[in-house]
Amino acid sequence: MGTPVGQAVDGHGARQHRRAPTGPPGRGRRASALGLRRRRALLPWVLLAPALAVIAALLLFPLARIVWLSFREYRLRNLVSGESEFIGLANYVSLFTDSYLWRIALPNTVVFAAVAVVATVVLGTLVALLLSRLRPVTRVVVVSCVMVAWAMPAVSGTYVWLWIFDVDDGIVAQALMRLGVIGPEGYNWFADRLFFYAIVTLNVVHGGFPFVAVTVLAGLLTVPRELHEAALIDGAGAWKRFWHVTFPVLRPVFAVVTILSTIWDFKVFAQVYLMPGGGVGGSEMLNLGVWTYVSSFGQRDYGTGSAIAVVLTLLLLGVTAIYLRALFREDELR
Amino acid sequence: MSAPVDTDWEHRVRRARRHGDALRLTRLLGRAAGVTAILLFTLFPVYFMIASAFSGRMTSGIGTLVPRDPTLDNFVHVLTEGDFGLYMRNSLAVAGITVVGACLLSLLAAVAVARFRFRLRTSVLVMILIVQMVPLEALVIPLFLQVRDLRLLNTVLGLGIAYIALSLPLAVWMMRGFVAAVPKEVEEAAYIDGASWPVMFWRVLFPLVAPGLVATAIFSFIIAWNEFVLALTFMQQSDKYTVAVGLRRFFGEYANEWGHVMAASTLITLPVMVFFVLVQRWLAAGLVQGAVKG
Amino acid sequence: MARTRTRKYVPLPAAALALTLAATACTGGGGGGDADTLTVWIMQGTNPDESGFFDEANAAFTEETGIEVDVEFVPWDGAQEKISTAIAGGTTPDVIELGNTFVPGFADSGALHDLSGYGVDTSLYVPGLMDMGAVNEGVHGVPWYASIRSMVYRTDVFEEHDLEVPETWDELRETALAIEEAEPDMIALPVPGDAQYSVMPWIWGGGAEIAVQGADGTWVSEVDTPEARAGIEFFTGLALEDDTSTTGAVNWNEIKIMESFSEGDAAMALLGSANPKAIVENNPELEGALGSFPIPGRESGTYTPSFAGGSLLSVFEGTGNEEAAWSYVEHLTSEENMMLWAEQTGFFPGLLSGVDTFTASADPVLEAYAIQLNEASKGVPTAPAWSQVEAEQVLVGMQQAILNGTSVEEATTKAADDIERILNGG
Repeated sequence: MGTPVGQAVDGHGARQHRRAPTGPPGRGRRASALGLRRRRALLPWVLLAPALAVIAALLLFPLARIVWLSFREYRLRNLVSGESEFIGLANYVSLFTDSYLWRIALPNTVVFAAVAVVATVVLGTLVALLLSRLRPVTRVVVVSCVMVAWAMPAVSGTYVWLWIFDVDDGIVAQALMRLGVIGPEGYNWFADRLFFYAIVTLNVVHGGFPFVAVTVLAGLLTVPRELHEAALIDGAGAWKRFWHVTFPVLRPVFAVVTILSTIWDFKVFAQVYLMPGGGVGGSEMLNLGVWTYVSSFGQRDYGTGSAIAVVLTLLLLGVTAIYLRALFREDELR
Repeated sequence: MSAPVDTDWEHRVRRARRHGDALRLTRLLGRAAGVTAILLFTLFPVYFMIASAFSGRMTSGIGTLVPRDPTLDNFVHVLTEGDFGLYMRNSLAVAGITVVGACLLSLLAAVAVARFRFRLRTSVLVMILIVQMVPLEALVIPLFLQVRDLRLLNTVLGLGIAYIALSLPLAVWMMRGFVAAVPKEVEEAAYIDGASWPVMFWRVLFPLVAPGLVATAIFSFIIAWNEFVLALTFMQQSDKYTVAVGLRRFFGEYANEWGHVMAASTLITLPVMVFFVLVQRWLAAGLVQGAVKG
Repeated sequence: MARTRTRKYVPLPAAALALTLAATACTGGGGGGDADTLTVWIMQGTNPDESGFFDEANAAFTEETGIEVDVEFVPWDGAQEKISTAIAGGTTPDVIELGNTFVPGFADSGALHDLSGYGVDTSLYVPGLMDMGAVNEGVHGVPWYASIRSMVYRTDVFEEHDLEVPETWDELRETALAIEEAEPDMIALPVPGDAQYSVMPWIWGGGAEIAVQGADGTWVSEVDTPEARAGIEFFTGLALEDDTSTTGAVNWNEIKIMESFSEGDAAMALLGSANPKAIVENNPELEGALGSFPIPGRESGTYTPSFAGGSLLSVFEGTGNEEAAWSYVEHLTSEENMMLWAEQTGFFPGLLSGVDTFTASADPVLEAYAIQLNEASKGVPTAPAWSQVEAEQVLVGMQQAILNGTSVEEATTKAADDIERILNGG
């Protein structure tokens, strides 16, 4: 996605034209205009510089560093001494030949993200559609309540769900015991991968759907009413109206909420790490994000941890590249 | 819009509406059911957290549903033994640095990308967007090394700077929408009045994008207040813990004391919630600017 | 033209920012070589409140040397991760309490200061602890206290239902079943999943070792032998077949076992020697209702060995305060302070001369612990990589898998493979 040169020239032309009336008249006008133009060319970079510097120093450089680390034998000993050894692809080879990646970490990451994203976006959209049909006062009240779920920090949210699902004393366990669904000995859902991730999904959707709902709602309110009414006259049902009227107009909104949800759900950390068994190396509950952390800071193998991190990053970039193509096919970046 | 002449389609819409009279009641009931379901799902965990926090010594989840004799014991314990006041101050300091830094840098950057056409502009935008995709867990190791090399581990500043970096990409994108929404004519009018660029920026553009700044501030505040992994690795001294890490430490120490854990959770959640509900108007606006105009 | 310009100017603000960062870094960074204050990390978990002890000990130290001491309590839960991170970040304290199993690993990474130059007489200390400190041809920690796990029970419950202290595995099981029958609301004997030192005894009691080193230096794990399996099967069977535990215990660590005991939920439990005191502190109603017995052997007249744990005090390398840190270690490990600490916590002193004195004078509840320590205690394999086995939570993973329904064969095979892989440096 390079910048066409013509565009930049166009921009200059337009600006010069706009600035022309304010330029000082008479001699030296030409030179001054040229200086102005130079300064104008520089200005955006001056404005961008601080942000770019921070991004470069704290996001891009670390990214390069993690790739570098992933090719080295790097353990606590190396961190203390500062010396390390280049070992080529060894970290990657051992990672890709580790059945843990294929059996546990990758499915935990990808399947969970897929389920959670779909659940979040669908629920968020349904809530937004419902909200758009409410009277303004009711809407404000409900939106405020939805906001409350959004505001819950991941860490405290996770502990609340842990308490709700506590194996011995949790409200769900006790209710099910009273109903006779499970026996008095209880059931340890945290040990079952499906239940474990069901709880994580509940947690993540609870915290994630308000963003989708509020964003889609805001978009819905910009859809002209006439469009709907026209479709209504054509006898279109609610389902049809949504797909043929609402969805096309809001396509960019959906693209953005889906991309962001995907990014967030691919890298859930606290919601898994803080659950029982979620931060234990070798447990079958880890996803790629937690695994890289446990490998590095728990098992002190920073090289392997970095290799996992690189794989996770590439995976995420791949997924978002697909989205980006869908989102910006109409040149919306301009 | 309200033309005196009854056009054909308006007439048909009215008829359709009259026809829907019977439908209306079922729809109303449907909506009521939907609203109830949403409220239950969103509010139950919050209610349960608060109810547990006010309960005395508890042994059962069902027993907590309606606290018999509400008590503040859990909160007292959390604030005295649990050091939560300290953690909240640390988190506020980190969030303060993040909010100021992210707002300032993203505003400048947004003006650059929304108001100027320059070489590599698209590349810069795409780069910012892609950087946003990089999973934080992948960055923990190198960021940790980086902050260590800057000798900023265990400092509020070190964590704050890292959070600025984390919130920048999204902040730039959001601010860009707000800046782009300000009509160029407004700026041009300022130029015609003889204002220089900085004057125009400060007097004209800045007030108009203030709602965007509020939205950005909230976003970065929440990132800083809620973030967990970096705080966990950067802050090794317990007097530097942020609320998220403090809560985890607390859970490790008082594992079965759900009343204490829930009181601590309530303390770190409530300020954000109140804040969120108060500013939701700007937040929603910010999202739409960011998403739709993005 | 525009391009050259941007190239020329863009780095300037970036450089300025970097400079600002670096400048603030110099003022913000802590640490430093002045020995005005020592930072000390003390582990915290199932022992009684120890702040009183440190208030006094530190005041005495400050009076003597003029150096202030700042003690920070670090929960055992997640301690390895936290210490590793601190080492990696160069944010270590000056003095640290390390669990004996941690020492070889951290010593091996070069993070611990060698104390052999200060004239430590290694023969004065409990050998099981000293061995873990005297690694890498140096002394990387001084034994501070020994801790051992043994059975604690509720004397009131036993009396009420006419139960005798069990002396074999079978009797232990029958006693647990009887309690389960008589007190259905109580947990007869919690079988925790997240507590590796609760599993080890049964491996040893069955007649196996966790790992043995062959003549060629290779480690072979015996966790998957029939002997070890029999022991593990007995212990987990209490939960899985006899239902004397509770389902949630799969996620319990030693803190939670202790909590359930202090809340009066558990009738028996495998607990450390510092726990009885902490339990009474938490719940004074249990005063006088606690008894203890050594873990019974498979056959009558024997005991099942228990893990002899304990802590050493180590000094971190590269803090610039090593000298002062050593004098603090010396202060805490003086006979006087060690005995005071033992009395206040219920841990056994790390000095050999102190063990007998302490045993003679200690709370009767600790009698069984003395027997356990003297007659039936064991340590973990002395390989430097052992701490890695703990960091990867191999035994915890095994125990949780079994409690969650994996067969003992499958889980022990995996654990043995993992242990051999790690110890043999794979």
